[in-house]
Amino acid sequence: MAEQRGTVGGPVLTEWFGRANLHKLEVYEKLGGYEGLRKVVTGMSAAQVIDEVKASGLRGRGGADFPTATKWSFVPKDHPGPKYIVVNADESEPGSAKDRYLMENSPHALIEGAAIATFAIGGHQAWIYIRGEYDLPYEKLRDAIAEAHAKGHLGDHPFGTDYPLDIRLYRGHGAYICGEETALLESLEGKRAQPRSRPPFPAIKGAWGQPTAVNNVETLSTVPWIIRHGGAEYAKRGTEKAKGTRMVTVSGDVQKPGNYEIEIGVTYRHIIEELAGGPFPGRKVKVFWPGGSSAKVLPGSMLDTSTDLDGLKALGTMGGSGGIIVMDDSHCVVKGAARLLRFYAHESCGKCTPCRVGSNWAVRTYERILANEGSQIELALLDRVQQGLQGGRCLCGLGDAAGWVIQSTMNHFRNEYEEHCLHHTCSVEGALIHA
Amino acid sequence: MPDVKMVNVTIDGHVVTVPDGTLVVEAAKLVGIEIPVFCYHHKLDPVGACRMCLVEISPGPPVAQAGCIRPVADGMVVKTQSAMAVQARADILEFELVNHPLDCPVCDKGGECPLQDFTFRHGYPTSRIDGPRLHFQKPIPLSPNIALDRERCVLCYRCTRYYDEVAWEQELTVAERGVHSVIASQFDQPLTSNFSGNIIDLCPVGALTSRLWRFESRPWDLHHTPSVCSKCAVGCNVTLWQRRGQLVRVTSRENDDIDEGWICDRGRFDYTDVNDPARLRVPAVHGSKTTWAVALNTVADGIKGKGSKLGISLPQDLTNEEAFLFRRLLDGPLRGAKVKMHGRTALPAPSGEQLMIKDIDDARVIIIVASDTENDVPIVNLRVKKAVSKRGAKLIVIHPDAVDLDRHRETVHIRNQPGEAAAEVRKLADHELLHEPGGPVAILYGDGRGSEDAAGLVAACTELAAKVGAKLMPLYRGTNERGSLELGVAGWDSLDGVEALLSWGPPPTAGVPASVKFHAVWDHLPRPEHQNASVVLPATSFAERQGSYTNLEGRVQFLRPAVDAEAPLKESWDVLCELAAALGLPLDYVGIFPIQREAAKAFPALAALAQPPSPEPEPVPVLMGPARP
Repeated sequence: MAEQRGTVGGPVLTEWFGRANLHKLEVYEKLGGYEGLRKVVTGMSAAQVIDEVKASGLRGRGGADFPTATKWSFVPKDHPGPKYIVVNADESEPGSAKDRYLMENSPHALIEGAAIATFAIGGHQAWIYIRGEYDLPYEKLRDAIAEAHAKGHLGDHPFGTDYPLDIRLYRGHGAYICGEETALLESLEGKRAQPRSRPPFPAIKGAWGQPTAVNNVETLSTVPWIIRHGGAEYAKRGTEKAKGTRMVTVSGDVQKPGNYEIEIGVTYRHIIEELAGGPFPGRKVKVFWPGGSSAKVLPGSMLDTSTDLDGLKALGTMGGSGGIIVMDDSHCVVKGAARLLRFYAHESCGKCTPCRVGSNWAVRTYERILANEGSQIELALLDRVQQGLQGGRCLCGLGDAAGWVIQSTMNHFRNEYEEHCLHHTCSVEGALIHA
Repeated sequence: MPDVKMVNVTIDGHVVTVPDGTLVVEAAKLVGIEIPVFCYHHKLDPVGACRMCLVEISPGPPVAQAGCIRPVADGMVVKTQSAMAVQARADILEFELVNHPLDCPVCDKGGECPLQDFTFRHGYPTSRIDGPRLHFQKPIPLSPNIALDRERCVLCYRCTRYYDEVAWEQELTVAERGVHSVIASQFDQPLTSNFSGNIIDLCPVGALTSRLWRFESRPWDLHHTPSVCSKCAVGCNVTLWQRRGQLVRVTSRENDDIDEGWICDRGRFDYTDVNDPARLRVPAVHGSKTTWAVALNTVADGIKGKGSKLGISLPQDLTNEEAFLFRRLLDGPLRGAKVKMHGRTALPAPSGEQLMIKDIDDARVIIIVASDTENDVPIVNLRVKKAVSKRGAKLIVIHPDAVDLDRHRETVHIRNQPGEAAAEVRKLADHELLHEPGGPVAILYGDGRGSEDAAGLVAACTELAAKVGAKLMPLYRGTNERGSLELGVAGWDSLDGVEALLSWGPPPTAGVPASVKFHAVWDHLPRPEHQNASVVLPATSFAERQGSYTNLEGRVQFLRPAVDAEAPLKESWDVLCELAAALGLPLDYVGIFPIQREAAKAFPALAALAQPPSPEPEPVPVLMGPARP
């Protein structure tokens, strides 16, 4: 059951959550579902759909925060071959579980949104690339697509029109990198999941060389609501520039971890302390990741930061995929960063040099630090490696994200790094066991 | 060719005008600025993986950008020496070296290694790398000819991309991921492709090395000679590497008109016979060593005046000059002899306008008839693959068996009954592919290794070419088959029943006829067939020979000797002149140049011989960027 507090203008994504069997077509349709798709295919042009979404100010919720309508408008209109919508349902960002929650509870919203998007770019085929480990969401989506086909909402004549729309599900192969849009396309084509160099961008040359728009689950799940209620209604929510609501996943040292829909602009203090119940008694929030493990960390003193996406950008971090990871003052930041670096090194696809070598080099350096073999050299080395991972060195964002973890934790908690490296102690978790 | 828009780009202050779409790395070359690259290769699609080519580009975001995937735009300003770009490249080089074994003193690549050079020119002057490096099992024998050292590998993917894009093979791939990624052959099986050796040339580090040359010598100890491959009629340009009188390495030498920098494994690895200690070096009569004069007189006595009772077996790789002298002998004292050339096709001499190899690039439809191009004309096969996969040509193959070109899903393969290829060609005139507009049609035909009626097939192909406006290319197999055909010495006679046999090069494929009473051998290696030979003359190998070959498209190219023919070994033209003298025909040439000049006058096809290029190749300018500030 969704927590719907914190949404001033009323929930959007979780509007109907809590109704029994929302994942069933009849329930979803009785509540007003598929009205958006019907409206689009029977009475709107592709340009009108894009205009409506543009009016809503909706921006991509996968992490890149790119205006959705603009992305669709990049897809060439006069392309002679097929055009695709690819739904990025390969949610693998540590700390993020919102897409899974949406797909499990309301698969039809995604299907409807994907169909509307396909119509908007003038295509006929959408692909949902779903993370391989997501069994329940896969089953729900599979059944929902079958229901929509049986009812005639998808297929050759959706709602009696002559505009074929089809959606196919593709299960991913279990790698973090599959969530990167070009690696996802490679994987979808049956190849080794490695990012492609850009240009050309997917909007020009995407899946199987055809124009493709890759959208996140949450983004597309929002679209039916926007079509039903109008873009202007959606734009009433949120801040001046970052419109609407979004899902966040709160995890870590909080009393009520879970998925929450928030209106953009509320503070992290509101989310962490009120929605998620705050840290355990006697503990303080020491550090939190505002948007998945790939966002630069913020210290507990900055809890009053707004979720406004542009404000976060100004701070050098990002709202990302909405995964808020909270760490209280009983945990060592160096250990936390080392654990994340192991993740990034393990998940590096190996295509570009800095990410392949740099993330592993950082892991080996962290291992030395945590084994009490650190010194000034290790401190300098970590600084060097994080620089080498950023600034356009890497082919995709994964390497940059690994660099940000090192950079932001060192930036805010240099004292803990120095304790580890120079004094071989940890004031947070006590003297190191190996000391 | 549509008009290409030209754009102005500023690179480190130099303004250069290049066609729109040129990559930044290529534009920089034009003004002599080096942007270092590992993964980028001008014959492969750019991939942007190694990140070595980072430069600062404005307008653009304030981060370093890869120059190998970035096309130029009008007004673009590229800085290779800004602080950001210099540091970015140094960072990448440091990463490349984190796990590199630094075994340069024993590495075959040491001395010609981009990783070494770039580290000197673009790297940090000191190393901060400590701690253990990653280790892999090594060396891995990828094939009998190629060894893989995974520790030295910088994972530029040139080898796997070449296999994928150029050779259309699926034998080489990347296993594992992240820092544990390694190049691996599919299912750890040895590579079998006829094009595998090119990955050695492509490898920018010492990860892929030739097992024939491994640990033999350092590159700077070698003398290199630009020459032409003598293994088939394509005439790929090669560099022969010699050390202390031994031919130790053969590498490709890029010629965009012919080979585009690729050579096949036969051309690359099939050279060890040159250094065979058992090589024939001294003439022998009835098994005992003697002088050239005695041996040649014995040969002359044995073959003189035999008319059609004399059989002559010719090697496929005789030069135009040798063929020219031989023609003089056939016109004079050896008139009437039966001549059989090794390894040649049944195809007649070409007539009319021919398709050139580079024209295949622009073909709209390519038709290949009765030829297993992978083995018969390997590098033409790669050119066809390029035209199909990178330039969208359609391919029709007429061949009884499966061929490697079938790997493209759109290849139209018509399987004919052996001997029926001509009939299939005639049916093609109505094929739908030949009725689509746009671009020329190329017809390449072989002789089905003897299974087809060559004359009928040529007639059918010529007829089809006239109907659809195509150009023809006969796919000869013998190295200088085309030159020999033009000089009229490429015989196709049966040697059965001859009494005297002059066997030049390898013995006749059908064996020495039982009727032979006098058998003279002129070969570079001892063979069992020499057992009962009356005279054995030592011959030069391709590495010691000078002269010229005419390749299958009619291009005359010059061979240069990489290894000296040390006495008593004599050059073939010299031996032929002396043999002629012994036969009573005064051929008196002081060197090979007078022969070439005379041949050029006598045969229009050999006009190029009138002016042999200077023996020393023109120096290639070395592209160097400004020194690191």
